[in-house]
Amino acid sequence: MEPRETLRIATRSVRSHKLRSTLTVLGVVIGIASVVTVATFGASVQADVVSEVESSSANNVYLLATPDADGDGDGPGGFSGALQPVFTTRDVEQLRAIEGVQRVLPRGNVPVSSLSYRDDTVARTQVTATTPGAISADAVVEGRAFRAGANEVVVNEAALRAFEANLSVGDELTITRGSGEATTVEVVGVVSRTAGQLPFAGFSGQPRFFLPVDPFYRTAVESPALGVNQAAYPQLTVVADPARVASTKDRVRTYLETGSDAAELKPSSFALTAQTSGDFVDRIEEIITRITRFVTGIAVISLIVGAVGIANIMLVSVTERTREIGIMKAVGARNRDVIQLFLAEAGLLGVLGAIAGLPIGIAAAYGATIYAEVGFTPAPTWFAIAVGVGVLVGLVAGLYPAWRAARVDPIDALRYE
Amino acid sequence: MYTSDEPTRDGRASADADVEPTDDAATDPPTGAHGDPDATRAATTRDGDGKGDGGAADGDADPVVAVRDVRKTYDLGGTVEALAGVSLTLPAGSYTAVMGPSGSGKSTLLNLVGALDTPTSGTVEVAGRDVAAVEEADRAALRGTEIGFVFQTFNLMPRLDAVENVALPLVFAGWDRDRRRERARDLLDRVGLGERYDHRPTELSGGQRQRVSIARALAPDPAVILADEPTGNVDTGTGAGIMRLLADVNDRGTTVLLVSHSRRIAGHADRIVHLRDGLVESIESIESGESGDGSAGDAAADTSGATSDDPTRGTAAGESDEPAAGGGDA
Repeated sequence: MEPRETLRIATRSVRSHKLRSTLTVLGVVIGIASVVTVATFGASVQADVVSEVESSSANNVYLLATPDADGDGDGPGGFSGALQPVFTTRDVEQLRAIEGVQRVLPRGNVPVSSLSYRDDTVARTQVTATTPGAISADAVVEGRAFRAGANEVVVNEAALRAFEANLSVGDELTITRGSGEATTVEVVGVVSRTAGQLPFAGFSGQPRFFLPVDPFYRTAVESPALGVNQAAYPQLTVVADPARVASTKDRVRTYLETGSDAAELKPSSFALTAQTSGDFVDRIEEIITRITRFVTGIAVISLIVGAVGIANIMLVSVTERTREIGIMKAVGARNRDVIQLFLAEAGLLGVLGAIAGLPIGIAAAYGATIYAEVGFTPAPTWFAIAVGVGVLVGLVAGLYPAWRAARVDPIDALRYE
Repeated sequence: MYTSDEPTRDGRASADADVEPTDDAATDPPTGAHGDPDATRAATTRDGDGKGDGGAADGDADPVVAVRDVRKTYDLGGTVEALAGVSLTLPAGSYTAVMGPSGSGKSTLLNLVGALDTPTSGTVEVAGRDVAAVEEADRAALRGTEIGFVFQTFNLMPRLDAVENVALPLVFAGWDRDRRRERARDLLDRVGLGERYDHRPTELSGGQRQRVSIARALAPDPAVILADEPTGNVDTGTGAGIMRLLADVNDRGTTVLLVSHSRRIAGHADRIVHLRDGLVESIESIESGESGDGSAGDAAADTSGATSDDPTRGTAAGESDEPAAGGGDA
């Protein structure tokens, strides 16, 4: 029989049991909506995180010494591990000479005991030290970057509110070192970020203070290659030629592995990593994708429940309509026609569920992104998959009932009261 | 062979086919009476009259239905033999009734002729096709195109209106929508339900439902109409109307096989096949006016000329292997 007629008859069957069809469809709606919600929300979070990370320069290669993958299980190249000052000044100079490297920005922590502004003193264990090159012009919100060798400090915006009285450019801060030595520094600028700041480090709204390495950074170790004490940093940021990031990264990594002081100095359980923000993005994407898949998998369970609902109602329908099936067979319906009819009906329930579930899922995902304060990123692939799965769920759920319908013996069915 | 939309079949003279639907024709005995002189066609007589003025003598007419030495057994925790060797031919345009008590095999025979079932042994041919030799799908197609069912309980699709019910066989036969709706309306007009196109079965009376059901049976212009107790669920007056309609259908050339336990109803046919215990007990030819109750008898008389049966074929299984009998197998 022609598909249009099949659809017409199936539609009529669905409409003749409005409440029953609605409830059956509802199961699919919930299933599809949950899948779409979870998938879309996951995609939105991912897009948001990635855009955040990618806004920091993609040509930065971060060099770190972190606990090894097979060490304490802190994860490969995790950036939360205890940072060891392994990169010596010699390493910095050697790296600067590598082809494709534009700048090498050391970064380290200055141990302090407190920071004071006017009468207010706040305790603090460390302050980040880096070089003026780490402060790009577009990161400066107000004032200017500090100069090397000067008693100057730049802060982030959160730091302006860290004290009782509001801090502003031109004010003076007193930094008390761990040793008790106090130094007065001038706030010369407010920055939104610094190069070498690891992705995500800027996420928290914590106050941050940045001092020039010279004269504040004093951590030093003996360079194994030179045999002299040198300043040593736990982290270096290599700014690579944007056109040659990958090859530069490889050369940097080769140097780290073969000739660097860092390789000698690092504890054996630590590994040196050279990663671009792209590497971070990949890893984060991978993690979010895994989580999204996992949660989507849970949502799929509700879709399966919806399918069971369809199968159930179709079986009821077959039993109820045994006589009608018999009539159709008596007037020339082939088994194929009967299967087609019942599959069309089950498929229709699935399609209706998909059509209703898709916008509900998108709306719910949109609401979730607003709640989570991330940008809304529609995932059209998932929309298509959801609709496809809805139809498929209907058809699969309808297979067995349709087969049962086709097996109805017209002789028995016509006698069926 | 029977694919024409024109309900009149074979070479039956238009003068005869020109009967009005329902009442008029059925209550007008002379219209269809071909003056068949055999007042009592003995069961053993090979009646050559056949189509009367249609000129379709037995010799040239292919039987629409040929049942040969058919046995049907059911395994119901013990073998039950529903049919124990039945032979029967329905010549084109004939009107045959099957009578018998419960368990005589009437329903089984009807299911076999209706291609709803296949025999355990023997052959059933409908419109020249062996129903057991074809695939189930082809059997379904055969039901849809060559066989029209009229059931005691009407068996209409409850959610479809009259036109859709009548058009249903044509859906499966692959007619396009406009054509089958047109055909359905024509047939509903013919059975006197021109005002009830879009009524659903629940909005129709029993008699009207049966008329829809007859219209549906006629929709594909089938070779044979199988009517199973068609008046069983309607009152006597309505039943008479139904029987007149069937007679009219037969007058127009459609072969009719009627199953009834009622002598009065079966008497509308040209001949009655009596079944008992799965065997043909006797075959009786009905004379014009024999069943004398009013219009019913008229209807029988009206169609008597259409008979062209070969009763011997049905009487005994032993004779069924005579292929040339009545030219039915030609």
